[in-house]
Amino acid sequence: MHQLKRLNMSKQIVLFIAMLLMLAATHVLADAEESDLGYQFSPVTPLIVAPDFTLEDMDGESYELHDYRGKVVLVNFWATWCPPCRKEMPALEALYRKLDGNSFAVLAINQWEDPDHVFAYTGELNVFPTFPILFDPESEISALYGVKGLPTSFLIDKKGRLAYRAVGGRAFDHPAVEQIIRVLLAKP
Amino acid sequence: MHGVNSLILARLFAGAWLLLPAIVYSASIERVSPDTGLSSWKSEGDALEFELVQVLPDYVRAVYAARGLPKAVVDKVSSYCVFGTILHNRTDRPLSYRVADWRYITADGVSHRIRTKSEWVSEWQDLGIAFRWSMLPDDQTFEVGDWGQGFTTIGLQPGNRFALEYSWAQDGKAETRTIKEVRCAPTEAPEHE
Repeated sequence: MHQLKRLNMSKQIVLFIAMLLMLAATHVLADAEESDLGYQFSPVTPLIVAPDFTLEDMDGESYELHDYRGKVVLVNFWATWCPPCRKEMPALEALYRKLDGNSFAVLAINQWEDPDHVFAYTGELNVFPTFPILFDPESEISALYGVKGLPTSFLIDKKGRLAYRAVGGRAFDHPAVEQIIRVLLAKP
Repeated sequence: MHGVNSLILARLFAGAWLLLPAIVYSASIERVSPDTGLSSWKSEGDALEFELVQVLPDYVRAVYAARGLPKAVVDKVSSYCVFGTILHNRTDRPLSYRVADWRYITADGVSHRIRTKSEWVSEWQDLGIAFRWSMLPDDQTFEVGDWGQGFTTIGLQPGNRFALEYSWAQDGKAETRTIKEVRCAPTEAPEHE
């Protein structure tokens, strides 16, 4: 009887440990799949002035970064063939719509592709991007910003300084991203 | 007696938690995509999460041809054994990697260096091509939450096997891992359900 009781207890322990291991494994897999797009931005230290640029959009209209002094600017380097770039685009538009008018701007700088191709891509999106899409055909501006891989995003403060950087896709609609921008917006 | 059982129970639980990292985190896991039939290898639990995804030569051709690159460039890249490589910093501290430090080891035990993005870009520049994307960057420092992806090119034929030795550095300490039995993608898409 005593031995039977001990055997049952051993079985329960084994079962419990097996359940723990399965639970842990499930968590690890779920974390890996869910966190494809992160939300963290890393501060750029020391603060340096963002390299200025003049680029054109699809209609040939020129945009100059220095015209955005006094605004917080999110600069996003991207391409249509880059899966995380495509994945983060709808959330970038959502963030822009939410914060637009609050001295916040988004400049999406396409790499290497031609405007016709990008225009066709934006037509496939459920929500058409309303922020400017600019073209950096020879990747000169991305080189100035030290961009090594796509997507890479920067937050530029109201004084035109690089404040934050994010390498890899981000969930721009995550509250933590909005919070960082709101803090930058609150600063003089 | 009750005290003894409690002691055994406590030791077993302690043992189980010690076992967790060994069982869940140690080796890379190979998965076969139900959509493509292609394999991928993912190493989880380290500071640097590392994933290699087989890429068919035809897909590589399509990617580069769609960028408008000349046939000679398309043919050369697609002659390599290409993997999609996805790296994540899974910690709360920066880490860095350098592809020049990585090696692939063939069945004969010989260690080979991996062709870097800079080498590809330099070759393309010599041909007057400014394209510098798609390959995994030579080196990067990933801050918290950073990640990246790109192609890694191994100088082997389709279907060949090798071991990949990769490394990264964090807090001034280098870490090295090996993924064994990696296979280059076949020439054509494998049959699958």
